Amino acid sequence: MPRRVSIGFATILVVCILWYALTTGLGIIPSGRFPSPAETWSALIHLSGRGYGGGDLAIHVYTSLRLVVLGFLFAIVTGVPLGLLMGWSRKAEAFINPIFLIIRPIPPLAWIPLAILWLGLGDAAKMMVIWFSAFVPSVINTYTGVRNIDRPVLEAAYMLGMPKGRFVTEVLVPGASPMIFTGLRLSLQASWTTLVAAELVGAFYGIGRVLNVAQQDLYPGMILVGMIAVAILGWGTTKALGMAEQRALRWNTAALAARG
Amino acid sequence: MGVIQFKDVGKIFGPKTTGFKALQDINLEIRDKEFVAIVGPSGCGKTTCLRMVAGFENPTSGEVLVDGTPIKRPGPNRAVVFQQFALFPWKTVYDNIDMGLRNLNIARREREERIADILNLMNLTQYAGHFPHQLSGGMQQRVAIARAYVLDPDVLLMDEPFGALDAQTRVVMQEELVRLARKNPRTVLFITHAVEEAVYLADRVAIMTRAPGRIKEVLDVASIRNAENWDSHEKIEDVMDLESFVHLRTHIWRSLREEKAAQHV
Repeated sequence: MPRRVSIGFATILVVCILWYALTTGLGIIPSGRFPSPAETWSALIHLSGRGYGGGDLAIHVYTSLRLVVLGFLFAIVTGVPLGLLMGWSRKAEAFINPIFLIIRPIPPLAWIPLAILWLGLGDAAKMMVIWFSAFVPSVINTYTGVRNIDRPVLEAAYMLGMPKGRFVTEVLVPGASPMIFTGLRLSLQASWTTLVAAELVGAFYGIGRVLNVAQQDLYPGMILVGMIAVAILGWGTTKALGMAEQRALRWNTAALAARG
Repeated sequence: MGVIQFKDVGKIFGPKTTGFKALQDINLEIRDKEFVAIVGPSGCGKTTCLRMVAGFENPTSGEVLVDGTPIKRPGPNRAVVFQQFALFPWKTVYDNIDMGLRNLNIARREREERIADILNLMNLTQYAGHFPHQLSGGMQQRVAIARAYVLDPDVLLMDEPFGALDAQTRVVMQEELVRLARKNPRTVLFITHAVEEAVYLADRVAIMTRAPGRIKEVLDVASIRNAENWDSHEKIEDVMDLESFVHLRTHIWRSLREEKAAQHV
């Protein structure tokens, strides 16, 4: 095991021991404020067995994960091409940038009431809010990535007589890809943040729903289970994206060095 | 064919009246298969001359023609070798060289043969699968030269191609370029500020004035090279020792020094 990983595990272990000591062992933190390990464990059993907040763990996880993945994918298939267009064409940039300047300062969460008003409490409203929050980082970073491609590299492409389609797929996209991936990572984080917030406001299933009901029931164990579930899912999806990035950017020394 | 003509070419960057006057009254004709080097003080517009032939810039006045046709845009009949190599970092050596051939819609079999030939000629065969960042600067520039040469272009445009290389690598590359140019002659426009490099490589050397750049003098190196039989010497240092070489080099140096001196007045 690499040194960094073993240190990481040690830290988690120490936190768990501290958690146990402060709650169960010494009783400094009362269980009404923060659950003990045992209470958290029983909440997890409760959620995955009988179910809680209208469904069991699998349904809640599936609902949240599905919405995040769909909303995120929807945001990147619209955001990345728009970023490419803005990075490439001064006209498109001049046209689209003002819209961004108006929309960008609005926090994505502020769209939740409007989304619910338009689309109700179902999946569509949540997808719309996730799209709003994940779209902007995708566009901005793709745009920056295109602008950062070395001028001589672009000129080499012109000199080689590259047809338009090939120029996009073999020069613009790979040239901007380190920044595109930076954008995607930000988009993914934003997707999780907004999803949980949107589910807190109103949902039938999902981890945000679990958190919301647990809060109303004064059930700290269940709140912690929900938080841990979001953490694990967020970590897992980020990891998957990181693996995709590593595959796509094998040529990129900077990316390799940053990981080494 | 590959005849390059500059006819009364002027270039102003920015607005016509207040902008920066980079070039003025450039008249130069480069014959088919001729190797011409342009030297000049920095900022004299020599790179701009090359960029106009490449199609990256348009002249403000006058015309730049290749084989009698005014240049409108970049194209693979005018291959460029850049100072900073400008390879596609996300493509292997092989795919970098293949790019231009694919754009010309050449059949796979022929592409493979031509790439194998050029890799062999440039001693790159064992690096075909490497990415550019895995190679030294000299190797990367070899790939860039191969990428240009494989297109079999009418003209080859080299913009200070060895300027970013260390001195030893530079000498090796100069010798290789001479070897390549003798074996497979092309019309070459070569921009440099290294006087010895220009004299060693070129058939003719054009000296430019400081900005706004004009052609001050064009020296015929080829007739001296042939008369003194430079090519019988394999190593660059042997050629540089010859009296005829030293004489030419000193002449160009003086001419450039005059420009430098005038710049500071």
